[in-house]
Amino acid sequence: MSNQLSRRQFLWSAGAGVSALALAACVPATLPAAQPDAAPAAEPVTLTVWSSFSGKNGEAETELVKRFNESQSNVVVDYQFQGNYEETAQKVTAALQARTAPEVSLLSDVWWFKFYLSQNLLPLDDLLSAQNIDLADYQDSLINEGVRQGKHYWMPFARSTPLFYYNKEKWAAAGLPDRGPETWDEFVEWAPTLLQKEGDELKVSAFAHPDGASYIAWLFQGVAWQFNGSYSDPDFTMRMTDEATLEAGQFYKDTVHNYGWAVPSKDISSDFINGLTAASMMSTGSMGGIKANATFEFGTAFLPKKYQFGCCTGGAGLAILASTPAEKQEAAMSYIAFVSNPENTTYWAQNTGYMPVRKSALQSEAMQSYFVEFPQFKTATEQLALTRPQDAARVFVPNGDQIIGSALERITVQSDDVAVAFADVNAILETEAQPVLEALRAIEG
Amino acid sequence: MRRFSAAEKREWGLFALLVSPNLFLLGVFTYWPLIYNGYLSFVRWDLLSPVKIWVGWSNYTYLFTSPDFGAILFNTLFFTLGSVVALCVLGLAVALLLNQKLRWRNSARSVIFSPVMLSGAAIGIVWIYIFDPRYGLLDVLIRLAGMRSPNWLLDPNWAMLAVIIVHVWKNLGYAVVILLAGLQAIPKELYEAAGVDGAGSIARFRAVTLPGLSPVLFFLVLTSILAGFQSFDIVKVMTEGGPIRSTTTLIYALYQEGFVAFNAGRAGVASVLLFGIMLVFTIVQFRYSEKNVHYA
Repeated sequence: MSNQLSRRQFLWSAGAGVSALALAACVPATLPAAQPDAAPAAEPVTLTVWSSFSGKNGEAETELVKRFNESQSNVVVDYQFQGNYEETAQKVTAALQARTAPEVSLLSDVWWFKFYLSQNLLPLDDLLSAQNIDLADYQDSLINEGVRQGKHYWMPFARSTPLFYYNKEKWAAAGLPDRGPETWDEFVEWAPTLLQKEGDELKVSAFAHPDGASYIAWLFQGVAWQFNGSYSDPDFTMRMTDEATLEAGQFYKDTVHNYGWAVPSKDISSDFINGLTAASMMSTGSMGGIKANATFEFGTAFLPKKYQFGCCTGGAGLAILASTPAEKQEAAMSYIAFVSNPENTTYWAQNTGYMPVRKSALQSEAMQSYFVEFPQFKTATEQLALTRPQDAARVFVPNGDQIIGSALERITVQSDDVAVAFADVNAILETEAQPVLEALRAIEG
Repeated sequence: MRRFSAAEKREWGLFALLVSPNLFLLGVFTYWPLIYNGYLSFVRWDLLSPVKIWVGWSNYTYLFTSPDFGAILFNTLFFTLGSVVALCVLGLAVALLLNQKLRWRNSARSVIFSPVMLSGAAIGIVWIYIFDPRYGLLDVLIRLAGMRSPNWLLDPNWAMLAVIIVHVWKNLGYAVVILLAGLQAIPKELYEAAGVDGAGSIARFRAVTLPGLSPVLFFLVLTSILAGFQSFDIVKVMTEGGPIRSTTTLIYALYQEGFVAFNAGRAGVASVLLFGIMLVFTIVQFRYSEKNVHYA
């Protein structure tokens, strides 16, 4: 009885809260956070971690945080969901201005470099060696993407690749062999048998493309390479108007407007789960959700080839913000090391479909028996060995992903001329790359 | 020079004391950002780097010569005018209906007003499903009429219409409430007098209702225009400005430049422009209401 809030107490606290807000509004935002000179040993360090996963992936990440907090008593992680990759980057930017940035944040493939360029990321090498973290056990291609001038800034965590997913029931109904297409030419032959139409109305498509906001430029990256094209060279020479890149674009346009077996989609993963498309390229990180929600058996395969195989990496990694006070840096590193240790990366990979970032995790008993139970995931890890980092135009040019995506939207949604759309984007990318080149010269020489 | 008496001084002192907290907050949170935004429109800054590079008018040149600029302005006007016209016409029709002595009238009023109180983001998500041409509710209705649903959100020709429909659906209740209040303020004697003069229902509507409603209608048009220019949540959730920029309005372009492309300068130009447009409408509103505070 005495524990129950009385009305008087409620009114009093509400009044106090309002006054506190009013007072807080008058306090300059730049007031430095109070920092104890010497933290007493018993007091654990609180670490703020920002991240972007919801649904099934969010549950898995929350579990990792719980495991970390229970594994030791020196650090307490305060995990905060911030929306998708873009929203998280927006909030980190705003928080850096307000000097309220978290210590650790998830940053996606297209965002971490921006924070590196503005020198807001902490080089991790001293912390890595102080904690004896075995860098050689991280997948080489993944760990090396976060290295600039020999220093590590971006640790692999939720790293993914595009993967070819197909609906086995629809495959069987069409009489196709139980595998993905080896080449796009083969899929061009298969696709018409997968369509379901009512009159002239397409009920089930063979393939689906996302829109620009849902990273069509990421999925098309590999396709450009398969056609011997690319978005750009490492030195930021743009390649959108190269013959080979245009041919890849023309193929993408044809899937919708000439062959007519692919459709633009608002949400490819939900279309696939609901049987509205027979196949699609999607992130390995979508596998957990598809596995949990699809009512049919699905298969996974390497991306189809054209003149060669091509597949990029993607997803997100963890970084420590440079604003992190010295006494919290070690704690921040220990969290990153914990969630990417062999045992936890195994848990994370099995629950989400993201790549196990440690070599030993791939060899582990737990992973090997999981492969037997769920061979779809094995395909994804085998493909990882053949992937390469994305072109600078998408990941290093500010907003490059959305700029390239706008051209791909123009050719898939609206059947604009490929040469015109890609030339427009090539010009924009060239302009937008200039500030990056200047900044790079300034900090890397 | 006139000297203030002690009493007057005390009154001025009290005035300053009472006004200053609000004035201070307005200054900090409204006027300062406004001025600072003007400054930002002349620099190149990515919201992160410690230096802001002065670039003069080049952000303005960039925006005004951008191939998308015309389309964005058109989208903004199309969205704003389309939704304002729809809100006024539909709002008036519903208000006239609800002004009759009908059964369940009060319940109907509550139902119509309820979307106003819902979050735009939540509404947007629900409407994404309603608009889906393959399993959406709207498709079912359109099929009953023997037609087939357009691909609302993925067809650049339909997406803006879809966004307007949702915006109107959400804000119709507001228009109805305002217009109902206006209708009820029209003196009954005017209708009786018109009836005595032999006016039929259409003549009464034209000669009594519309003129009596005009100040309220004007208020509604202006507030809806201002709200239309600032409408963001539905576009963000439903289309993210697409497909192919077909639903990118000025305020959405501002967001994309500022918080997706992280180009504070160009976003600054867009907001200066938006501010200019809104200022014009606000001045019009003030001028008009100065003259028309009272019914003629």
